[in-house]
Amino acid sequence: MPALMLRAAPRHLRAACAFLFALSCAPCALHAQGMESETSAAGTAEETYPSLKIRGFTDVDYAATDSAATPDGFQLGQFVLHLTSPLARKVSFFGELSMTPSGHDFHAEVERSFIRYDYNDLFKISVGRYHTPIGYWNTAYHHGLWLQTTVRRPEQVKFGGIYIPVHFVGLVAEGKLPSGGLGLGYSAGVGNGRGEDPSRGGDNGDVNTNRAWIVQLLSRPFDAYGLEAGAALYRDLVPLTAPSSAREWIYSAHVAWTRESPELIGEFIGVEHEVVGLSGKYDSRSFYVQAAYRLPGAANQVKPYTRYERMEIASGDPIYAQPDLQVVTGGIRVDLIDVAAVKAEYRNQLTEGAGRTNTLWLQACLTF
Amino acid sequence: MSGPLRVRARAAGMAAALALLLGALAAPPRAAAEPMAVIVHPDTPVENMTLAEVRRVFLGERQYWNAETPVVLIVRAPVAPERTVVLDRIYRMSESQFKQYWIARIFRAEATSTPKVVYSNQTINELVSAIPGAISLVRAEAILPGTKVKRIKIDGLLPGEANYPLR
Repeated sequence: MPALMLRAAPRHLRAACAFLFALSCAPCALHAQGMESETSAAGTAEETYPSLKIRGFTDVDYAATDSAATPDGFQLGQFVLHLTSPLARKVSFFGELSMTPSGHDFHAEVERSFIRYDYNDLFKISVGRYHTPIGYWNTAYHHGLWLQTTVRRPEQVKFGGIYIPVHFVGLVAEGKLPSGGLGLGYSAGVGNGRGEDPSRGGDNGDVNTNRAWIVQLLSRPFDAYGLEAGAALYRDLVPLTAPSSAREWIYSAHVAWTRESPELIGEFIGVEHEVVGLSGKYDSRSFYVQAAYRLPGAANQVKPYTRYERMEIASGDPIYAQPDLQVVTGGIRVDLIDVAAVKAEYRNQLTEGAGRTNTLWLQACLTF
Repeated sequence: MSGPLRVRARAAGMAAALALLLGALAAPPRAAAEPMAVIVHPDTPVENMTLAEVRRVFLGERQYWNAETPVVLIVRAPVAPERTVVLDRIYRMSESQFKQYWIARIFRAEATSTPKVVYSNQTINELVSAIPGAISLVRAEAILPGTKVKRIKIDGLLPGEANYPLR
């Protein structure tokens, strides 16, 4: 009966219950992630399973804007708990729960939840819900807002956006490729693809009989630590108004140099849609380039940054209903301590048909 | 000693003390010049590594020695000379960057745990000899006699040989 009651409850309530249940199940071996402190030689040598570790991310923002679409004033950011738990020597669980403030309550969500078996460095296989490995930002930062230099994400991976399916439910194989100093790695997955709501993965089964698949290749050269280059290809069949559907191809390429002095990230994502049974293709493109520089010496906590991004949506696209836009961002990040930062960001957005808007963002973000 | 000489000697002494004090305050923590040995558990199937390979292991890019043996990273706590060499020569990071690097790796599900942190070379010796797959860095002279750890060559060189890269 309780299970039935839970099933009948609103989705956000069920998610909140799951959130609390997950926390209440934390075993005694629970501790925050970070540099582990030494206990004793014998104690440290002995691994215990499972060993749940939790790390949190959150932020508080302030916005002043002339845009009607962006709320003014103070805003609570997401409250995110990231869970890691080795279950056995080669089996691990990764989870991520978020609480997001909405107009009238907090919305709980299982962002990631997957179990992984490591055979060795060349082959790891997992099943569950992931951040889709398209491009760089979506897997490198995502809900870990403190990890990213800027206040706001690029539009192509913005919170609640539909440009790419940011989550992927399915099975993923990943690992390194024998490639000498090139440091090649791969990720290949098959899953449900977009759900009925195109911003979401198909969490409760696929909406059609066609599975989505993705392949990503990465390079992290040994001799250039901090450099990552990658490309990905994603394919799905997206349901439109029944009985219609659209073939979707997503292709991405990125280069990131993350040593901070300088930090350079460039990412391109193209999307092609083709309505089944009709001629014509809809090609949309989006990219951003971001540069930052951590100042030397006594000003080492300070990192000014800038970003330019552009999104061009194909006219008449069967899935997207958003205008073209370009955004110029400039800001400064100050790391107060190792795990907390404040950021100030100016954002100028030019939206086709809506003109130019200006927003000043202030943010305090941290990991705990 | 006459009056002027005594004054001059005192002034010279004060200047020397001031120079020492300023030097101590201004000098950044320096890596110890003594060679550091990379040691592994005796069953680890490796005898020689390039410095780039060592870096890959410590960065967590290589997580398995083979299908049966995961890499277990052990590093000294801050301030120890071994810590300085690990951060300067292998990670090429500051303490803050090191901490942030491992938080990011775990967030991205690229690792399940951070390196184990220990406070003495004796503990390093004990852990590396006890944990299959363990690897650490320790002053060459701090390898305890009778400890079952394997010292590996870096770029074909052992600590103490000319051009040994970790010191």
